[in-house]
Amino acid sequence: MSNLLEIREKLKLLYSRNEFILVPVLKFMLAYLTICMVNGELGYMGRLDNLGLVLIVSLLCSFLPNGCIILFGAAFSLMHLYELSLEVAVAALAIYLIMFLLFFRMGSKDSVILIFTVLLLALKIPYVIPIAVGLLATPLAAVSVGCGTVVYYMLTNISDNATIISSMGADEATAKLRLVIDSVLGNRAMIVMIAAFAITIVVVYLVRRMSIDYSWSIAMIAGVIIDLVVLLVGDLVYDTHLSLGMAVLGSIVALVIAKILEFFRFCVDYSRTEKVQYEDDEYYYYVKAVPKMSMSAASKTVKRINTQRRPVRAVEEEDDDMTVAPPRRVNRSVVTERTGGRNGHTRPSSGRAGGRSVTISRESDEGAAEDYEEI
Amino acid sequence: MLNEERVILMTKMASYEEGEGKKSMALGRYFRGDYISIQLLRAFFCGTIAYLLGFGLYVLYDFETLIADIYKMDLFVFAQNIIIWYAVFVVGYCVITYAICAYRYARAKKSLKLYYHNLKKLDSLYRQ
Repeated sequence: MSNLLEIREKLKLLYSRNEFILVPVLKFMLAYLTICMVNGELGYMGRLDNLGLVLIVSLLCSFLPNGCIILFGAAFSLMHLYELSLEVAVAALAIYLIMFLLFFRMGSKDSVILIFTVLLLALKIPYVIPIAVGLLATPLAAVSVGCGTVVYYMLTNISDNATIISSMGADEATAKLRLVIDSVLGNRAMIVMIAAFAITIVVVYLVRRMSIDYSWSIAMIAGVIIDLVVLLVGDLVYDTHLSLGMAVLGSIVALVIAKILEFFRFCVDYSRTEKVQYEDDEYYYYVKAVPKMSMSAASKTVKRINTQRRPVRAVEEEDDDMTVAPPRRVNRSVVTERTGGRNGHTRPSSGRAGGRSVTISRESDEGAAEDYEEI
Repeated sequence: MLNEERVILMTKMASYEEGEGKKSMALGRYFRGDYISIQLLRAFFCGTIAYLLGFGLYVLYDFETLIADIYKMDLFVFAQNIIIWYAVFVVGYCVITYAICAYRYARAKKSLKLYYHNLKKLDSLYRQ
């Protein structure tokens, strides 16, 4: 555990030091993945499936706000759908606009959640989403998750029916529109999925906020169970063809990922919980303080101070001859080592860092001690 | 001489100003009523546009049936239904917007209160 904590601290340190590079790089990767996913899923307009274009757009997204990734993703998908059929593109645009005007306007800061929802649904590991969102965000993020689910199911449905749509003539414009709208409103699997995700997010959020020991672990387990139950009930009622094996496997993966998130976000030591009670003029306070598990990463600072001896004029009285003695090379190194707690002991984050040892070594000729400059 | 408490306080406040505080400060410039009114007005326009889009999709979806039945149906009742649904939709959306905005305003004010408390504390630390 101590090693893991140390790794965590190192990762945090690495992130805080290189945040100005890491954030654009991560945004670039996210934009690249999103656009590649759109191109891979739809890919009707060959000109958009160009590596150079994708890289340029991803690079733009890395410096622009997160919402731009959604904007470019939507633009790419609409252009692909336009190539497939104008009616489909118009219907998709209307659905995008409705989602933006009604829902996404409220939780625009959760744009990353929407992107991750679409990506994880495409990667067939959607069960991570509600657990992670419930642990890290607020219940309002369920709106973004719902929007992401709608987008994914709409695009997948259009992609599945692409051959039918392209074979339809211009006189069947309303049939094309109907197909897109049915893929959103009549898709029971999607509605069950949205309901399961929304309920799970709320349950996970409520449980993890409770003042009980191991609230995060209980929240994630409760979330997984609720998610599975809602999906199974939905499958029984609406016949959504849910694969139980995949759902259970996905839930186990979700639990593992949730534990990793917990380790980075909420790593506390319940064995050292303190309960204190005090009062002031107006209130009684019942405080439960749970210390965080933390360990400062071992860091070594080597400080070298090299001083050159001052040229000493050696006066040889016997010869009455003044000579300048060559400066002796004197190295004085000060090594300051700072180490964190070891042997798996944890300490409260407010505590002091580990021991500090100072080693002063010097290499010099004999009798040169008098020639050092005082530092 | 560095004062550790002062540095910690200033770091916390700077972090707040850069992150959550930006939105909270922008929000704190409004009175509660003004902020919620603006948001409700926006919600009304957005809701109206969304309803029109939804209605447009509905018309296109059932275009053939509508064209076939347009002379049979009672257009007055049809229009009345559209307006009633519109009113229900927009009012419902505005109520949800009101609840969310009121919650956000209360939260932002709370965090700003803490921020100003920290400012006072910092001021007192400098006076010591």
